Amino acid sequence: MELLLQTLLNGLLLSGVYALVATGLALSLGVVGIVNFAHGEFLMMGAFLSYLLFAFRGLDPLLSLGLAFLAAFLVGGLTYQGLIRPVLKAPELNQMLLTFGLAILLQNLALLLFGADTRVVAPPYQATTLALGPFFLGAVPLGAFLLSLATLLLLQVFLSRSRLGLAMRAVAQNRQAPGLLGIEAERVYLLAFGLAAALAGVAGVMLSVMLYASPTVGFAFTLKSFAIVALAGLGNLKGVVPAAFVLALAEALVSTYLPGGGGLVEAVFFLVLFLALVGRAWREA
Amino acid sequence: MVLLAGLAWAQVPLKVGVILPLSGASAVSGKAALNGIQLAADEVNTAGKVRLELVVVDDGTDPAKAVPAFTKLMTVDKVDIVIGGLASGVTFALSGPVKQYGPLFLAIGAASSVVEQAFEGYPLFFHYHPWDYHNVAAALQFFQYLSREHGAKRVAILYEDGPFGSAGIGVYKQQLEKLGYQVQAEPFKAGSGQFTAILTRFRAFAPDILYWIGYDVDALPIATQARQVGLRPKLIYGAPPSWPIGFEKNPLSNDIVGMTAWLPTVANAESRRFVEAYRKKYGEVTEEYMAPMGYTIVKSLALAAEKAGGTDKNRIAEALAGLKMPTPLGPLSFKPSDTGRTKYQGFGPEIWFQFQYLQGSRRPVFPKEVATRPLRYPGEYYLR
Repeated sequence: MELLLQTLLNGLLLSGVYALVATGLALSLGVVGIVNFAHGEFLMMGAFLSYLLFAFRGLDPLLSLGLAFLAAFLVGGLTYQGLIRPVLKAPELNQMLLTFGLAILLQNLALLLFGADTRVVAPPYQATTLALGPFFLGAVPLGAFLLSLATLLLLQVFLSRSRLGLAMRAVAQNRQAPGLLGIEAERVYLLAFGLAAALAGVAGVMLSVMLYASPTVGFAFTLKSFAIVALAGLGNLKGVVPAAFVLALAEALVSTYLPGGGGLVEAVFFLVLFLALVGRAWREA
Repeated sequence: MVLLAGLAWAQVPLKVGVILPLSGASAVSGKAALNGIQLAADEVNTAGKVRLELVVVDDGTDPAKAVPAFTKLMTVDKVDIVIGGLASGVTFALSGPVKQYGPLFLAIGAASSVVEQAFEGYPLFFHYHPWDYHNVAAALQFFQYLSREHGAKRVAILYEDGPFGSAGIGVYKQQLEKLGYQVQAEPFKAGSGQFTAILTRFRAFAPDILYWIGYDVDALPIATQARQVGLRPKLIYGAPPSWPIGFEKNPLSNDIVGMTAWLPTVANAESRRFVEAYRKKYGEVTEEYMAPMGYTIVKSLALAAEKAGGTDKNRIAEALAGLKMPTPLGPLSFKPSDTGRTKYQGFGPEIWFQFQYLQGSRRPVFPKEVATRPLRYPGEYYLR
């Protein structure tokens, strides 16, 4: 029982960062209508920014969160203007190939600039552990979980209370009608794509503390985010958090209770993705 | 004029191909190796007996890039001698082309026994780096010491589920059990960063040693998450090909133990000379053992060419086979490999030693002959 509860706790803490990364992907997919394979690379940029500020300026990663948000927003906005906007009306395959190419380009750019080495930061609270009776909670995963929830809550407030947020949701629901009401879809797309990148950038800073910074750190999160978004339902922002929890919990349970489960962790999201798509197909049939 | 002509006549001109991973996963080791090679080439050329011309190509840590790059060395640059073969997978892929073109091949890395099998019977293959079974032997010697001197009884092994971590894990387990250890081994996905579940399970096993076989990306998550789940091994031991940048500055690295073939603090005259020359040329000191390995290969090649008195690869190979020389990594001489598959094996398990991270640097701790300080056992991750 104790092991099960500790496993549930591990899954819960992991789900926060998953939800944060996947929400960004859900935004670019739901609002802009782009399957962004380079989403994880925005996360990688956040991780490297955190590392650089820590290594050369001694800046605590917590303090680089805001900077990472702004930097990733800017890069996301520029990416939208320079690359995404021209292919908005192109066939989906072209869009996918473009973002896939962008992912490879950004990974190799990072390789060129930083090499293949893994880089780590060392804030003083990195290994702080809270003991709650027989259970253990890492301060960093707990902090990342709470920070992710807070960020997602702010996003929710923005989407439901601000004019821009409402415009975003309107565009996500119907691509033609908002234009008739005077909403500039172009601007909404730009903002949504920038915001998506910014959320990934923030997650990248958290992951630089929890894991490491390297050119390939984002790729696994891109795949996991796709699984979460598929599970939540395309464009369903509210479904992302519970879907992230389901995926994180599935991973935690598999690696705890399945013999050799540690090696199967990466296969879990494929299974989740498969079940989600098959389940949806059955419901729609 | 006559003097100059005599000098030129006395110099042995040698064109050498160098194929290393200057990009891709093994780029850190590859660049370090190239630095060592270029440093040695400068010294050799300054000495004036042999004149080395290096033709450097990048194998990208990728067999698909390595084979055309090697073919270019053979057909366009027309070299007879090649230094390279750092990553096992790439070297395995090169075994066919090497046999086809027949150069004198001086292998700097490629520890996998699969490579040994691939080059079986090739007469011009000189393997400087120890084979994987040498690495295992060196690690087991350390584990034997931990059991005998510190009473260690239980080992929890985390191994990545790719070829690097999984190859021979069964045999490894058996050998540890033969030493009297209870062993629990679990696979993980390298780079996933998720160890909490496995480490939580290990808690019930209460290991004395937490041993992980994986890559640099796993170092920090394991050190962090072991603490976060309340796992308190007496020793954390890792064997990645390289360690993350900045890891030594992280307090979490304190008392973690690993294995290497060389450190700048190694107290032998050749090593000290190498460190000084390296610092002078590059303005820094490296901790990558591939740098002195590259340096050693060029120095031994130059010496063999000098002894052979010409550029014929077969005569150079003959001279190399009989060479005995001090190097930063210890004495070098060639003998058949333990399995007898290859004729010329340079270094063996004796070059490996264990180091421990201590407040920002790595210090040799085992075996006693090279130790600069005693092993801290249990480590602070247990004492906290």
